[in-house]
Amino acid sequence: MTNSHVTKKTGFGLKRLVSGGSGAIWLATLALFFASPLVAPGSLNAAPVLGMLPFAAVLAIAAIGQTLIVQQRGLDLSVPGMLAFGGVLISGLPQNFGWPLWASAVAAIVLPALAGLVNGVLVTCFGVMPLVATIGTNAALLGTVFALSSGTPAGAAQELTQFATSKTVGVPNALLIAILVVAVAGFMSQQSITGRRLTSVGVSKGAATVIGVRVSVYQTVAYVIAGALYGIAAVLYTGYVATPPLFFGDGYLLPTVTAVVLGGTALTGGRAAIVASAVAALFLTQLGQLLRALGSPEPLQLVIQAAVLLVVVLLRELVPTLVRAVRRRPLVVAAKAMA
Amino acid sequence: MTETQHLDPKVPGIVIRDPKARTVALRLTGIVKSFPGVRALKDVSIEITAGEVHALVGENGAGKSTLMAIASGALAPDEGTVEIAGQPLTAASPQAARSLGLGIVRQDPALLPDLTVAENMAIGVGYTPAGRLAKAPAWAQEHLDPWQMGINAAGRVSDLSVEQRFVVEIAKALALKPRVLILDEPTEHLSLEEVQRLFQRVRELVAGSTAVVYISHRIPEVKQIADRVTVLRDGAIRGTFQAESVTEHEIVELVVGRSLDTVFPTKGCVVGSIGDEVRLSISGLAGTHFHDIALDVRAGEIVGLAGVQGNGQTELIRALAGIENASGSMTVGGRPARLGSSAAMADAGVVYVPSDRHGEGLFMPLSVGENISMKTLRKVSSGGLVSDSRIAETAAEQIANLSIKTPSSRTPVASLSGGNQQKVVLARTLLAEPTVLLAEEPTQGVDAGARVDIYRILREAADQGAAVVILSSDGVELEGLCDRVLIMSRGSVIAELDGDDVTEAAIARAALTSTSVRKREEPSTSRGTRFRRWLRGDQSPAAALGVLIAVIAALVGMSNTVYLSPFSLNNLLVMAAPLILIGVAQQVVVMGAGFDLSVGPLMGFLVVSGSFFIINGGNILVGVGLMIGGAVLTGLVNGMLVTRFNLNPIIVTLATALALQGAFLMLRDTPGGSVPVEFSDFVSANIGFVPVGTIVAVLVAVVLEWSLRRSRWGLELRAIGSRADAAERLGIRAGRVRLLSYVLASLLVVPAAVLLLAQIGIGDGRPALPFTLSSVLVVVLAGASIFGGRGSFISIVAAGLLVAQVLGLPAFLGLSGAWGYWLPGIITIGAAVFYAQLRSIRKNS
Repeated sequence: MTNSHVTKKTGFGLKRLVSGGSGAIWLATLALFFASPLVAPGSLNAAPVLGMLPFAAVLAIAAIGQTLIVQQRGLDLSVPGMLAFGGVLISGLPQNFGWPLWASAVAAIVLPALAGLVNGVLVTCFGVMPLVATIGTNAALLGTVFALSSGTPAGAAQELTQFATSKTVGVPNALLIAILVVAVAGFMSQQSITGRRLTSVGVSKGAATVIGVRVSVYQTVAYVIAGALYGIAAVLYTGYVATPPLFFGDGYLLPTVTAVVLGGTALTGGRAAIVASAVAALFLTQLGQLLRALGSPEPLQLVIQAAVLLVVVLLRELVPTLVRAVRRRPLVVAAKAMA
Repeated sequence: MTETQHLDPKVPGIVIRDPKARTVALRLTGIVKSFPGVRALKDVSIEITAGEVHALVGENGAGKSTLMAIASGALAPDEGTVEIAGQPLTAASPQAARSLGLGIVRQDPALLPDLTVAENMAIGVGYTPAGRLAKAPAWAQEHLDPWQMGINAAGRVSDLSVEQRFVVEIAKALALKPRVLILDEPTEHLSLEEVQRLFQRVRELVAGSTAVVYISHRIPEVKQIADRVTVLRDGAIRGTFQAESVTEHEIVELVVGRSLDTVFPTKGCVVGSIGDEVRLSISGLAGTHFHDIALDVRAGEIVGLAGVQGNGQTELIRALAGIENASGSMTVGGRPARLGSSAAMADAGVVYVPSDRHGEGLFMPLSVGENISMKTLRKVSSGGLVSDSRIAETAAEQIANLSIKTPSSRTPVASLSGGNQQKVVLARTLLAEPTVLLAEEPTQGVDAGARVDIYRILREAADQGAAVVILSSDGVELEGLCDRVLIMSRGSVIAELDGDDVTEAAIARAALTSTSVRKREEPSTSRGTRFRRWLRGDQSPAAALGVLIAVIAALVGMSNTVYLSPFSLNNLLVMAAPLILIGVAQQVVVMGAGFDLSVGPLMGFLVVSGSFFIINGGNILVGVGLMIGGAVLTGLVNGMLVTRFNLNPIIVTLATALALQGAFLMLRDTPGGSVPVEFSDFVSANIGFVPVGTIVAVLVAVVLEWSLRRSRWGLELRAIGSRADAAERLGIRAGRVRLLSYVLASLLVVPAAVLLLAQIGIGDGRPALPFTLSSVLVVVLAGASIFGGRGSFISIVAAGLLVAQVLGLPAFLGLSGAWGYWLPGIITIGAAVFYAQLRSIRKNS
């Protein structure tokens, strides 16, 4: 076999770094962690970092769910409802209905997965736009949360809080779980047949249909897995926060989308950059932490998150064009006609 | 004046008559155009003189259409110049070419399906010749009637048949009285009778000294109509000849580039390699656009499907692939196969090579290796896990076997040339060891060299025992490759040719003559269809919603008469006003195929910013001015990011939504700044029990509805929402229209914010947040297709009222707060499902 594919690599370096792939977010995250102690002394001490990591873990798991939906050319606006739903199940079932913790945890993961199934069926079988379907289920889920809780948040079971807040060999359990989820999801998405077929459907429904992939089934599966992931995220969050506000998920919609975009998964579907989404979640959480350390008010965080998202999508759009222009310039002789 | 002349040494005895000193109507000089992976045109120069029919012939992918796209300003050349009627075309702009007198009829008509025929024609001619929009239908009808195709100028284009659409496209081009008319494969969709009518018109035009460029790969027709013929092969001109001085055969050899026997492999029916075993057997197969098809294909046999485009061939081959639904029976390798499921067909051993290589053939962003193995992942994996090294091995094998020219198996398939891409599709197909191989236009957009390889590959697949079915519009290809050819017309097989009878001329004759008797659907005016047409119109949701509102009102009113009192009605209308406005705002964006998630937070931001001045002693005008300014700015930011930088509208507006929310929370963390009573009273005034705000909202909707139908803005907005690519080809400045739609939407949020500010009486943005969901709910209920192009603002009014009614129900009926979420959620989903089903029924009927 010839090895000629190495030849053109250098030219792609910059473009890949900023536009495609996942390299950029690793660098950005490293840079952020290097910069943090310089900008805000003490912000990388053990206490703030250990305080930040569980939130990063929750966001990372939710962001992987969002990544799977974006891979299928969708956008999941039901993240707030899903998280709130998982949260109300894991806290409310033991407290209000006397369920054992393990059963509640199963319910808090399985029921959001079922809600994901509803999303998937609406999108694939009934041809509803993903955006509209998930806006609808989001409202329905919030209503269910409201009904289940009668409007007042419940506290998490003691064992759960204990588990979520304690550490194994110095690493917060929440983080361990997140690392496990990220590793499994990332590996399966890359190397399993199912993962490859999900990619094929995300790249092109038409082409996937032609080669005989059951497109609707795979798309629905993506929504179901996403739902389960939101459930896991909600369980972790509830365990860590102990008594989360009912609609705590509201604050997670934009960050999951931003993490997906930062991670490099294209909004037009295709390859899912699972691990990169998780790294982006860490980046976003640390950025928020840093801003808080610098004394910025909470609403400003929203503005900055929005700005980060816009800047990144802009860069992704502009950099390839610029790189192309730079590379072209010496070649093009008669570009007049292009005007 | 000199004429570029090309003499091909391979065709002796052709004398090129020196063209008379006629004026040159279209001159292309030194045109070079490259696409990623292909050099489509290599230094092409051509002159078309006034008063001639100049045929441009060549295989699929020879560069004919690209050349004409450049001539018509739809594509910019990398190098070279275009001159129309002596004037240089300075920019690649369809309007500029049009105004210089160039008309083009494309193979794929640039029509906007959701607009009426008349509206399409008005846009196509740049409005002026059509007069005012209200008069456009009469003007359009005048130009359509000579064709006797039964086209109603006031009907939607989406309701027309393929050939009717084509005639609209021709009529549109002719209405401009062009000096140069380009016809790109004009007879592809037409029956013999219609072809003759077209030729008649072409001769009239030429007599009036119009220059006609006639692109075709149908050589007999070219001989019939053209004065001169230019042959294009692999992006370069191979010669220009007087039509009467060359024979059909000579043209074909020039087009193909060598003698036919070196291009095509020996047929199975000649060497006797066709087996006895029937690999594919269908009987009584029926589906959309075809019926009662019976066919047996044996191992080693290649069967061709031919016919005038749009006679059911495509649907048939796609049904065989399991992609389209069909009924009847089909067996593959002796076992019955389940129709209507491509996965089941794939399992049964049927593989399909689609004609749309970009959309269906390949996974463009993925590598060559991934594409090759995607269909047969199990062969390169163990225990459900894929091995990349085995993918690379398999790919290397296939790359060598099929001589695919690629730097490596990791190269993205998108960077390969058309021919090599098609070989990748075939490699993937062969790996599946097919029992039945279906190929649709297998050599479209493939250069001559790769074409020979592809014919060889297809023949080898047959020799290895597959039953092969090929659909092709290229008669030469069918003649050279197929053992047997079936000709389809009106959805059934009307002729079958085999052995020596498989010739291009025989195929063309059978296809064209049979279709001349095709029946036209006469527009019926019976009540049933008129009702159905109304149902398909834009205003039917409004009526349906109105009925629903009345039913709910009656039901609730029966249990509680207070519900119908003027007081509750007033309440309902007060709630409806901002919903209507915000729904109208969302609808404006959705019509242009956008989306705006920032309307709710923008409303909150405007409420808060206004509340700093709309207070006792404050300057109300400054407050309102600030609100308008904030809205315009938001609209500009959204619109610029979406149109100029081509960002996803959902992401952009999601980000601005959160930014606006953060901004108003920073301005006012807690509610503050109480609104003067006089202001509230003024805004919340009533006429009888009807609030003035609601009247204003309805008026806004009515004005917009009128503009949507009658103004150029409305037309262009719908055009872009309907089919952005076609709209741009027609010269509509899509970016500007869409930018404007975002600004307008944001502006429409201003009155909604004023109403809300007056209602809550204090500067607080939070109550505005749910309005994003409400706006989506209103738009979905109003039946906008959410893909743009359709919809009505009258339906928005009805939907706004219904949403106000539904949102008010929990409080009125004493239901729990959960219903405040459930009702909008369930209704959104229900309405979306309902309309999605309606749409798919419409599409199938």
